[in-house]
Order: sequence, then structure tokens, then C-alpha cells
Amino acid sequence: MSQSISVENLRAWYGDHLTLKGITMELEANRATAIIGPSGCGKSTFIRCLNRLHETIPHGRVSGSIKLGDEDLYRMDPVDVRRVVGMVFQKANPFPTMSIFENVALGLRIGGVRSKAEIIERVEKSLRMAALWDEVKDRLREPATALSGGQQQRLCIARALAIEPEVLLMDEPTSALDPGSTLRVEELVQALKSSYTIVIVTHNMQQAARVADKTAFFLNGELIEYADTAIIFTKPSDKRTEDYVTGRFG
Amino acid sequence: MKRVSSRSKIADQVFLVATGLCASSPILFLLVITGIVVVQSIPSIRLMGWDFLTSVTWNMGSTYGAMTVKNGVPVPAGASYGALPFIVGTLASSVIALLIAVPISLLTAMILAYRVRGVVKSALSIVVELLAGIPSVVIGLWGIVVLAPWVSSSLGPLLTHVGWVIPFFSGPVGTGMGLLTSGLVLALMVVPIITATTRDLLEQVPILYREGGIALGMTSWEVVRLICLPYIKEGMIGAVALGWGRAMGETMAVLMVSGSAINYLPQNLYSPISTMAAVIADQLDSAMTDASHMAVHALSELALVLLVLTLLTNLVARLLVNRSRGTRRAGMGVKAG
Repeated sequence: MSQSISVENLRAWYGDHLTLKGITMELEANRATAIIGPSGCGKSTFIRCLNRLHETIPHGRVSGSIKLGDEDLYRMDPVDVRRVVGMVFQKANPFPTMSIFENVALGLRIGGVRSKAEIIERVEKSLRMAALWDEVKDRLREPATALSGGQQQRLCIARALAIEPEVLLMDEPTSALDPGSTLRVEELVQALKSSYTIVIVTHNMQQAARVADKTAFFLNGELIEYADTAIIFTKPSDKRTEDYVTGRFG
Repeated sequence: MKRVSSRSKIADQVFLVATGLCASSPILFLLVITGIVVVQSIPSIRLMGWDFLTSVTWNMGSTYGAMTVKNGVPVPAGASYGALPFIVGTLASSVIALLIAVPISLLTAMILAYRVRGVVKSALSIVVELLAGIPSVVIGLWGIVVLAPWVSSSLGPLLTHVGWVIPFFSGPVGTGMGLLTSGLVLALMVVPIITATTRDLLEQVPILYREGGIALGMTSWEVVRLICLPYIKEGMIGAVALGWGRAMGETMAVLMVSGSAINYLPQNLYSPISTMAAVIADQLDSAMTDASHMAVHALSELALVLLVLTLLTNLVARLLVNRSRGTRRAGMGVKAG
């Protein structure tokens, strides 16, 4: 069962530059939430705070609190946080030195799963969930880099799902994919959101409309509006949201 | 029509010839040097045959006495050139150096590439590179004055306790001039090379892959071990080969701390040794007094063996690198869709 995330007064800096200016919002469990906004609005930084990745880069700094259920993520060991909050990146990044199988199995191994049978079973399950199993089941030993771009991204989704996180963060997961692959990933989000809390950053407003239950509009590091997706796209209450979703800027 | 002036055309010709000459000089040097060493070695090869590689006795004979003729070549009476102790000394001291230097270099490179930033990073990097610039004779001096006594009085006696597990570690420790001290001095000299190369390699690992590992809940050590090191494996082999070549070819510092053993194979970790490079430097002077020139030929053959060994390690490393790169590239083709 996944849990909701409550973000309170979240600020993030790159050196002296304040990128997120106090975000407060509730990301609901078993829902897909889309984060939209123009480039540089802080949407990627926002989800990189949710798995504490922002603080790993030089001069990255965060304040405020993020709770998953009752637990404050910023009081946990970041390594533990990332095992319950999985992430898929903008560009597919399967580990290039490993096979398709190894890419998915690695997270299980470092998580302490020793039984070979269990690893094989969970790798298959994850690949099925990522709708990749049928395409790769006969070539699991091949290098992950032999897959197409869209397959690589689904492999990354399988890799993230294998360790059974509660939350799945997706940072513009389809921006480097062709329309066909994009569609498959979107279908995947639809299918997965019943069991995960999904947060998806997207540049593509149609994508937000297609996959997300709720949508948040970010501008210059601030949360401008956050509501059901239908409302954001049909009758937003803020003028800036309206300008953005109607394509007047961004 | 406007034409390019003949002056710039001539300049272009000069440029072509000059770059051509410079670009072909490495292969020219390699061929000439190898050629000279081979030609100079021939009499010694005829005299000693394979015994050169397997015999322990190195004796220039009586260079002032009468010549005898052996295997069709004139040599000083009693001369025998068995290089095995020097080959063993070179290999043993350089391998010890690598065993010490590789872990140190790896860990230092990791810190430099991923942990420290800004001023600390540049300061540390400069220190590492300065270390590479210390003249080897200075390091040798430090080896004699500081390191050898310390090995003799502290490190050696400590390590002898390992002797009942690994006999090679048991004493007597002696003066401290010998295999272990040579290995330590060489390690000091190859650490900067391997560190700098590895640091550059680690910095080239795309952040995308490292973040992929971090986001999967890996610790820093797991990210380095499972993602970065496999990614740079090929380059690492090259870096180690580079360091190995340097360690085998290093002359002065080793000559100063090796204990200059002759006719003697190392019995334990503290035995005096000699390396091929050190013997060449050490004995060339007296070899020149040999009227039959056989001693110089023997030293040339020693140089030939050293040359072949270093070329071989480089070649093998390169082969390994190319082979693994080949398999990687085969899997690199990203198809669309």
C-alpha cells in the first residue's frame, strides 16, 4: 500500500540561488500527480528533493520537510529514502556495463536478496510490470545498451520497480522518446498508479492531461496552482496558469 | 579569379613536411632504439643463449686478463652473464609497488573525483602532480636516509609476524635496503601516475549513470564499485600498465635502496635485490673497460629484456583494453523506436 507525501515549506538552493521558494503541497497515494511549468521553474529540482537527490550535487541545499506517511524523509538515511522513493530519469540510463537482467537484479542484490530463485522471479515480475518482458525474455543476457531508446526507458522503470518502492518519481520520462514509445510509457503510468504514488514532471501538457489525476503548475520556484487535472486545464483560477496551459508562454 | 598567394602555399608545404616528420619520429625512435639494442645484444645472445635468462651468476670476468673464446665469441676469462636475479628483482619490486600503489591510487582518485570540491580539490590535485615531479634521486635519498632505517627497525620486524603464514615475509630483516624498500620507493613514484589517470577516468563517468545508482538506493561505495569502476575498467588496466612500465624502468631511486645484490635470488621480502635498470646504470662504467666489449653487449641484452618486458606489458594491457572495448561497442548501437 503506498502512502501520500506531504511537502511543507520546501526550499532548495543551488549555491546562493534559491530555486524552490517554499513549496507546500500534498501528493496523494495511488494517484499520478503531474508537475508542469516552463523550463527553469524548479519542477525537476522539486522531484529531486523528494528522493534527496538534490543534495548530492555540488552546492545543492534543501530546507523544509517532506513526509511520507508519518516519516520525515529528511530525518532518514538518504539511502533508505531512495529505496522507498524510486526514480526514472529524463534520459534512459541503464547501467551500460551490465546485462538487461543485471540492471533489474542489481537493486535486489544490494538490497540483500540472496536467493537466486527469488531474484529471477522478481526480475521477471518487474519486467512484466514495465511491459518489457515479452520483448526481452529471450535476450536477458545481452547488454542493456543493445535495447532501443524506448525499451531502455522501460528497463529503467523495471529497475526502479524491482525494489518495490512506494513512490515512483518520473522526471520528463518521455522527453527523449519517439511518439510510439511515449505512448507505451504513458500506458504504463496509467497501469501503475493504482499501486504507487506517482509524481511525473512533464513538459508536455497533453501528457499531463492524459496520465495525471492532479496537476501542479510551477513558475519561478513557486507553486502557482494545484488542483484536479481537469480543472487546471479547463478552468484554472490563476491567470498565469491559464496563460501557460493555453500556450501563451513557456 | 583571385588566387591564394604562393607564400601561403609554400607555408602549407612546410607545415605538411614538418608535421609529417614530427609525427613519424616516435616510430622512428622506437625502431632505431630497438635496433641498436638488438644489434648490441647479438654477441651476448650467442655467448649465453637461454642461460642469460635462467642463470644466476653475473660475472664480468677478468677484464685485464687474457681473452678466451667461448661459443665462437671472445670473452674475458671467467665471464658469465646470468640475468635471472635482475629479472626477478625487477618483476618482484615492481609488482610489490603495484600491490601497494593501486589501492592507494584508486582511493585517492575516488576522493579527488567525487568527494572534495573547489579549493581543496585543486590543492590536492596539485600535490599529487607535484609528487610525480620529484626527481628520482631525491626520492632515493629519502629512501636511504628515512625509509630503509624505518623498514629495518619498525616495518620489517612487524611484517615478520606474518612470516608464519606466508614464509616469504619472515626475516631476517637486515639493513632495510632491499626488495621491500625498493617496492615502497617505486610505489611512491607510481602512485601519482595511476592516481591522476584514474581521477580523470572517474570524472568521465557520466553523472547520469551515477545518479541512476544513487536513485536506486546505493551507498557511495556501491556506486563507485558497481557502476564507476566497471565503467572505467579498460582505462584502469591501461593506467596500471603505465605505472608498471614506470616501476620496471625506474633506475636511480631503486639503485640507491635496492642493496645491489648480485648472483643472489631474493630469499624473502627484505633480501637485497638488483633490477635490470639499476644494474645497467651501475655497471656500465666498469663494463666499458672490457676490451672484448662483451660486458657492454651483456648489459645491452639486459636492456633488451627490459624493453621487451615493458613493451609486452603495454601491449597486453592494450589488447585487454581493446577486447573489452570491442564487446562494449558491439552493444552500443542504440536503435530508434
